[in-house]
Amino acid sequence: MQTETDNIYHGRPPFFKRVGQWFGDIPHRFTAYWRGVGKKMSSIPSKIAARAYITKTSPKPVKASMCLMGLGQLMQKQIVKGILFLLMFAAYIVYMVLAGGRAMYDFFSLGIIAANPWLGIKGDNSVVMMLLGILAFILTGFFIAVHLANIRDARRTYEYVSRGNPTPNFKQSLGSMFDKYFYVTALVLPVVGVFVFNILPIIFMIFLAFTDYGGDIVTTGALVSWVGFANFKRLFAMSGLGSTFGKILGWNLLWAVMSTALNYFGGLGIALLLNKKIVKAKKIWRAFPVLAYAVPGFITLLAFKFMFSNQGPINYYIELWGGVGKLFLGIDSKWSARLIGWLVNGWLSVPSSMLLATGILANLNPDLYEAAKIDGASAWTQFVKITLPFVIFATTPVLIGQFMGNFNNFGVFYFLRGGIYCDGYFLASDTDLLINWLYNLSINKNYYSLGAAISIIIFIIAAVISLFVYIKSPSYSKEDMYR
Amino acid sequence: MKKSSKIISALLCGALVVPLAACNGGGMREKYAQQSLEQLYDRFEGDIERGTAAKPITLHVLENDTAKKSGYLKELLDGFNKKYAEYHIVAIDANQDQFSDLAENGPYGYGPDVLYQANDSLMKYCSGKHIIPLPTDKLDAYDQLPELAKKTYTYSLGGQDYFMGVGVNIQAPMLYYRKDLLPENWETEWDEDGNGVFDPIEDMRAMYRFSVWRHEQDSSLYGYMHSLNDAYFSSGYLFTYGSYVFGNDNLDYTDIGFNKNDSYKGAGVVLQLASMMNSGCIDDSITRARESELANGTYFAVSNTQDMYGTMQSELIAVYRKQGMSASQAREAAKENIGVAPLPDLPESGLLSSTDKDERLLPSVVMGGINGYAISSYTDYPKASLAFLNYATSYEMILRRNELLGVSPARQDCNTDCTYQAEVAHELFELVEQNRISIMPSISQVDQIWTPIGTAFTDLATDPYRDAHARKYYKANGTLNNGELQALLDSVESNILNAIFQLA
Repeated sequence: MQTETDNIYHGRPPFFKRVGQWFGDIPHRFTAYWRGVGKKMSSIPSKIAARAYITKTSPKPVKASMCLMGLGQLMQKQIVKGILFLLMFAAYIVYMVLAGGRAMYDFFSLGIIAANPWLGIKGDNSVVMMLLGILAFILTGFFIAVHLANIRDARRTYEYVSRGNPTPNFKQSLGSMFDKYFYVTALVLPVVGVFVFNILPIIFMIFLAFTDYGGDIVTTGALVSWVGFANFKRLFAMSGLGSTFGKILGWNLLWAVMSTALNYFGGLGIALLLNKKIVKAKKIWRAFPVLAYAVPGFITLLAFKFMFSNQGPINYYIELWGGVGKLFLGIDSKWSARLIGWLVNGWLSVPSSMLLATGILANLNPDLYEAAKIDGASAWTQFVKITLPFVIFATTPVLIGQFMGNFNNFGVFYFLRGGIYCDGYFLASDTDLLINWLYNLSINKNYYSLGAAISIIIFIIAAVISLFVYIKSPSYSKEDMYR
Repeated sequence: MKKSSKIISALLCGALVVPLAACNGGGMREKYAQQSLEQLYDRFEGDIERGTAAKPITLHVLENDTAKKSGYLKELLDGFNKKYAEYHIVAIDANQDQFSDLAENGPYGYGPDVLYQANDSLMKYCSGKHIIPLPTDKLDAYDQLPELAKKTYTYSLGGQDYFMGVGVNIQAPMLYYRKDLLPENWETEWDEDGNGVFDPIEDMRAMYRFSVWRHEQDSSLYGYMHSLNDAYFSSGYLFTYGSYVFGNDNLDYTDIGFNKNDSYKGAGVVLQLASMMNSGCIDDSITRARESELANGTYFAVSNTQDMYGTMQSELIAVYRKQGMSASQAREAAKENIGVAPLPDLPESGLLSSTDKDERLLPSVVMGGINGYAISSYTDYPKASLAFLNYATSYEMILRRNELLGVSPARQDCNTDCTYQAEVAHELFELVEQNRISIMPSISQVDQIWTPIGTAFTDLATDPYRDAHARKYYKANGTLNNGELQALLDSVESNILNAIFQLA
């Protein structure tokens, strides 16, 4: 019979209990979230009214800056700054007239003239139009941000002068960009870089999932159309796809967890071993894994494929010693192929974990071990209580990176066992990971829009797992532990 | 942090909503959809384009790697450039991968002007209009092409036929064997019909028996070998029993033919062949080793394409040299001892162990291709490109190609007059005439067939190497399970249809 004392824990409740609580809290959190949203929504009218009042009662230079960028600065005799703002405004207008407006229109239409190379008609390139359209919206967003900054600047200057100070000249304003507002100056280039090289491709990929860009449209250069959620509907409506997705996702998670653990602890184990005084010629031993690491991954994978092939060297020696050759990577060899995948991936990844662990172990205070020894801690206890927490604390972000790398590890099974479909799988084999399946379904067959839809799903799964693990890790929750 | 995540969420929601609200080009697209093709051939009318000494016209020519390595491409370019020097036209190597995709490069101006590729690659460009229809009256080689080559390069659009490329050489798997490895008593033991031809070369049942016999004599030796997982090489066994890739002359991709007619018998042939080979037939182990193993006598015969003939010969020469022959003796012996023939006929019953002398034999059909030249729609110099195409497909150049590359000419006159591997060239041409070469489909949907059919062949080839209780395609009494073989081919059809339609 369960008593009340069963639910009282000294310290943290067991892991499964915590997971259960986390899931049990979901309805409560859900309700709380929507209650918060409701509150925010109900406060919108009052916020609008407050904004309107602020706008109405704003001083003239601020109102002028609201109407025309830089005008408020000019009215407050900040000529250079005002002209710069005006130039930015003019540049945006010129861009919108010459290209931006058209790009925004094309973003919605995705072109109207189809290419006909036989007649020399180049036609509209829907994909480029989409990209330029996204860029135009981003630039517009950037312009709005600058415009708001211009209003804030006009207000700040007005208030500064109202307090009896002289109007800051351009040199002073420029100086503040390298002093008080240095963080803004320093972040401009990185932010632009992030937008161009990270955000833009991600947004492009997201939008692609809502088009029909795939199949003959890719090869014929036909016009692309917006199709809403059709690709997502198709993904879940396809016969056999749901069960294949479940099977592959399960295997993918097992693969990622096991490979990450194998690579991580394999590397840590070698690093610890090579740290022992008893090991001689450490430099040479450390060089061997690095050599394996230095060979390009796909060459290693092809070499292993050859070694494990039906008439390869491994079967040759098995038969030479009187055994019967095995079909290591054959169509029926689900688990032997998976095992080989783990080992080969370990061969490729353990060296980097070893190098990482070697560096981290060098920073570990040896006094901790001395103290532990005096307290009578065994070697295992020292490892579990001192080495492991320290190494895990320092490497959790790398561990998550490795997990993500393994989760999306395309090469291993593409090279080892590509080109077969297994019974019970929809255009996939029983060693394919989601990324391989994505390749089979989309890139290999030019269905980029479908691929983008699957990518979004993979991204959501991977992001949720990574964020969950990171937030729960000591690297995040106990940031100051080793400082 | 919370605020920024809310902003990002709002942006993402906006990103999701916008496409739903978007309207596409709509009616405007329809307005521009009508494009007349009446002026299509006008690009080839009039005088050939002329460059100047200061600014010559440059034609980029895509050729295959073998043509480059053998020096043929250089000879071709030099000859053309000399002939058209007065027009200031210079043809150069496009310096692109031989499998590069015109559909990806052409629209952006990076593709070649003239390209040489296999028919399935070239004809895939038709739906996107990446290669331009050729005026048949201006093609010097047109009248010399066999009907199959003309049909292969014909593209139908809106009820109109367009001729898209000029076939240069025929390629299909053939049987290559070692004449010097025939048993000494073959005329009495292995020529039952007494026609003076070694039976295994004519009849796959005899080849099956011979392979088993050879392996029994010495367990390290094998008879007929090839990697059965290779869809290109193995599809022929199905075709022989009435199978096909797509219906309506490989144009109707709603009709998948791998499971049609008696194709299950062909699947049974693959299974039986696997049982007399070794586990190397399941993957590409045999493909990797076939030239060297044929040369050292481990294999008696292999299925191979003509472009590998040179490699087979070199390997055999090397073996003979090791055995003490002089270079010239080895060359002569290798030339003499590599025999070539169409793949042996298959029994109507599909049973290779059959000993019924009266059983009807079906001439084997193989999957093949016709490589050819086409002109990019993106070329700025269509007339100069046409001139190059005519030069490259001229009688002299095709014969030269045969001499240097060992390929079988598709032009009838060249096929008759060629000197290098003439026997193979004539055999292949005869196979074309007899409709025993099933040309690879030339529509883009062909991309979806390879993995499903390749997987089926892998599964079949694996079966003899499974534990007896785990075999899928044998009954308990050891006979073939035709029902399961048919089910396998039905699943191939289903996988191909899934790949074509569920994703489309």
